Amino acid sequence: MFEALSILLYGLVQSAVLLLIALGFSVTFGISGIPNFAHGGIYILSGFACWYLLRKAHWPYPLAVAATVALAAAIGTLLYWLVIRPVRRLVLAEVLATFAVGVAFLELFRWMGLVTYEFHLPPVLSGSVTIGGVTMDRHRLVIVGAAAGLGMLLWWFGRATRTGLALRAMAQEEYTALAMGVHEDRMAAIGVALGSALAAVAAVLVLPLGIISINLGYDAILVALALTVTGGTERTAGLLLAALLLGMGTVLASMVLGPHWSEVIYLLAIVVVLAVRPSGILGRFKELEERV
Amino acid sequence: MREAGYRRERLDRGIKVRADDVFVLTSWRELLYLAGPRLAAMTVLLGFPLLRPWTGAYWQTVFLIVVAMMLLATSWAFLERVGLVSLGQSLFFGAGGYLTAIAAVYLHLPSFPAVLLGATAGAVVCAGLLTPVLRLRGVYFSLVTFALPLLFARIIEATKILGGTEGFAGVPGLGGLTLRQYLLVLALLVTVFGLQRLLDSDHGLLLRAIRDNDVGVRASGIPVGRWKFTALLVGALPATFAGGVLATHYHVVGMSAFSLEYSVLPLTAAVLGGSEMLAGAAVGAALLVPLSEVLRAFGTLRVVAYCAVLVVVLVGVPEGLFALARRRYHQFERWVPV
Amino acid sequence: MIRFRAGLALWVFLLAALMGLPAAFGGPAEPIVLGVPTALGHSDGADSLRAVQLAAEEINVRGGVRVGGARRPLQVVSIDTREHEPGIPIHDALAALEKLITERRPHAIVVGAFRSEVLLASMDVIARYRVPYIVTIAMTPLFEQRVASDPGKYRYLFRMGLQSEYFAGNLARVLGFVKSRYGLSRVHFAYQDVLWAKGTVSILETWARQSGWTVVGSDAYPTGATDFSATVIRAQSGRAQILVPVFDMPQAGILVKQVRTARLPVLMAGYVVPVVPGTAWQTFEGAVDGFVQFLHEPGAIAVKALSKSVHFNRAYGRKYGEEARLRLGGHGPGPSYDAVYVVAAAIERAGTLEADRVADEIRRTDMEGVIGRIRFNERHQVVYGGLPHETAISLAFQWRAPGRRVVVWPEIAAEDEIRLPAELRR
Repeated sequence: MFEALSILLYGLVQSAVLLLIALGFSVTFGISGIPNFAHGGIYILSGFACWYLLRKAHWPYPLAVAATVALAAAIGTLLYWLVIRPVRRLVLAEVLATFAVGVAFLELFRWMGLVTYEFHLPPVLSGSVTIGGVTMDRHRLVIVGAAAGLGMLLWWFGRATRTGLALRAMAQEEYTALAMGVHEDRMAAIGVALGSALAAVAAVLVLPLGIISINLGYDAILVALALTVTGGTERTAGLLLAALLLGMGTVLASMVLGPHWSEVIYLLAIVVVLAVRPSGILGRFKELEERV
Repeated sequence: MREAGYRRERLDRGIKVRADDVFVLTSWRELLYLAGPRLAAMTVLLGFPLLRPWTGAYWQTVFLIVVAMMLLATSWAFLERVGLVSLGQSLFFGAGGYLTAIAAVYLHLPSFPAVLLGATAGAVVCAGLLTPVLRLRGVYFSLVTFALPLLFARIIEATKILGGTEGFAGVPGLGGLTLRQYLLVLALLVTVFGLQRLLDSDHGLLLRAIRDNDVGVRASGIPVGRWKFTALLVGALPATFAGGVLATHYHVVGMSAFSLEYSVLPLTAAVLGGSEMLAGAAVGAALLVPLSEVLRAFGTLRVVAYCAVLVVVLVGVPEGLFALARRRYHQFERWVPV
Repeated sequence: MIRFRAGLALWVFLLAALMGLPAAFGGPAEPIVLGVPTALGHSDGADSLRAVQLAAEEINVRGGVRVGGARRPLQVVSIDTREHEPGIPIHDALAALEKLITERRPHAIVVGAFRSEVLLASMDVIARYRVPYIVTIAMTPLFEQRVASDPGKYRYLFRMGLQSEYFAGNLARVLGFVKSRYGLSRVHFAYQDVLWAKGTVSILETWARQSGWTVVGSDAYPTGATDFSATVIRAQSGRAQILVPVFDMPQAGILVKQVRTARLPVLMAGYVVPVVPGTAWQTFEGAVDGFVQFLHEPGAIAVKALSKSVHFNRAYGRKYGEEARLRLGGHGPGPSYDAVYVVAAAIERAGTLEADRVADEIRRTDMEGVIGRIRFNERHQVVYGGLPHETAISLAFQWRAPGRRVVVWPEIAAEDEIRLPAELRR
């Protein structure tokens, strides 16, 4: 009983963590079709930026967080105009160029020696609460709330704002959207910037669970890929379902089979879903486009 | 930069035109023009192992790795020509290494047959594993190749099969260093010249057509899937062979054979050199790996440097350095009024 | 075209500069070169290198090493093998080692491999190049088995750092104490999936089952793991009283924090790298309270019973600053510092730099160092035990409020006995 409840609770937290990490990548890929492989790099960069602002520059917490998110969005915009724009629509080149930028960020930090335990961010709320015998820190609950809130915010953004509608229009019917006067490059840049900003939000929320470890940047890309592939990019519900499946799956696997197996779950999800249902578990209309 | 009103014109050099058809046989100069670069590359490859007394053993080991990476990069470029963009060359490399180790340790084969068997079996296994996703286009196939080597590393780590994290030890050595070097060089020459010939043949035309318009090819009644599978098999072989030979070199093959480095380095090399010609990818690796050895003292900063190079080349010289050099060799430029 | 030529010229210049570089070093003084090929990106590796430089400097200030008639200074050259990172090919580390050996021609190598996997693979390289080699970090017992299997081939290889069998024994003694003193009997293990940690835990598990412990569980984590919820849940549901973490990656600090925020009633005793430094109390905001941390070798803490460890701490603080001294790691620096003195003494006794003679003299070493008394057994491992004037020793300390590291083991150096954390006393 205790174990079942623990797995359920930790699984929920893990799902929220995965969702937060993947959201930015998925949003960018969904609305502008850009696979932003620099996502992991920006995620960790935001973590270090926030750490610097808090610990070295001694900024107050809300200000530091806001500045971090703004910085990430700025980097995303720059990334689009300097790197992605020249190779736009060459899928392979987009992947390689963004991946290279991400790896460059990460390895630069490694070279700078930012690998010790000191690099950790403070939780939003400290202390812990006990739910049905399971003691859990408050910050984990904050993460679950934030993931749910952010998901709803994005849903609203896509349906109620002009920018959101334009972005979705680009994703669904590109040529019609262009004909209606949607500016392609501007929208794509907004897509990358938004994804990067979400990466920063994820960093501020998720990284306090552990330390800002460079390998988490690589993991983040893997998580983002696994969720995006599993859930498909058409519907937010797909992403949510994927997050729940993989979150519960990893916690269950690491409890029952051992901690080694948690990463196997992501990778297996990518391979199996692409082999069996390339459009994701909830995907429908891309089937024909993606396969021969 | 010239002022407006001019444009740059590129023309084939006279010697290139003369060397293009059968009249090349009439003059040594033209013959040399045609064969020179190839002969030079072959001389370097075949001659370097003989320089051991001057270079020392260390640079000879580096040479071995360089040639292995050249094989990986060539294999990448070949697959790319068929539209199979691999983000996980380490899948082939690791499969070749592990299967060679299995052949040597469990089947008690001597090292050379073990390498041959390991390389062949590796190519077959990888092609078989990737078959279900061969029908996917674009980035989706790449994602699976990206995930598979990582998945294998994790599974080996989690299940502790094949030596687990410690690696699979006890692979017998394959002759001396020089023998291994020449084996890889031979494989490289066969790969670069042989596969290039294949690509220039009618089969190559078909493969390129599959990349550019698979639906059209299928409409012509050609089984796309079977061709892609064959290409994957052929393209994986050089990489699995390199993995097998390096396994006999280190006497051990570990999880790290599936590491990201073996995927990123060949890919960067192929982009740097340019993958339109297979030799371009090989040249890219030949530039990148020694450079990375020279810069070893800078630690992971060299990875940052690769990435910077990769981005600059992708954005600035998308055809690659080899294509650039080749154009200068064959053509000259001049400014002409519009 | 001009641009192209300029580029070429720059290139040639760079190459020439790179080739000329090594020549610029070897002056007429003919130094004795000590190579340090290890994972400099890991705090233990970096601290060990600093300890080596400190020892070399001390020896040089005293006039260097007497070889035959002449006195020659020590020169330390290092190379980063990056072997602590997950997914770095072993051969990459070996390539770095080979580069160091062939280009800098060290007369001896100290610190050496970080990962046990790399140590085992390096042994044949060392046998080929015949360089006296003292490893202070990699801990696998397989090293000794290899040396014993072919003593002639592996005569150049020695280990001064702790070996994981010793570590398992030390942990067993501490667990035994806690069992008899407080009646605890349920233990849970969590370890990093690398050779030395696996070895330690497998020995310890067997021992625990035989001596009446209930082993609640045993979790292996891949290098770089950052979520330890599985251990928290399993330890809690299995009512574990002692949690033994064995990790050399910085991320393992998260485990300590997760255990504390979940308010698990357990005593933690083991090896977790970020818990060692004197600054850990602040870094963890007190979450390390009650943690019993092993120092594989003395070095990070000055112990009165070992006069050299007091000297080492003082000298280290003077050279690198108090902050750096506080951050000293628990594995590597002590024996690495000693290793330089061992090599220097062996060279002086041999009267030559010839590898075979120096290696034989290292084998005959008998001196007092930071880590205690240094003597090698017939399998080239420094003997560890409980008495500082008989053997080398390990230490264990417990974190106590308000941020003090209290040495609790072995008895000869202990300031206090192990106390249970508040959650467990209730």
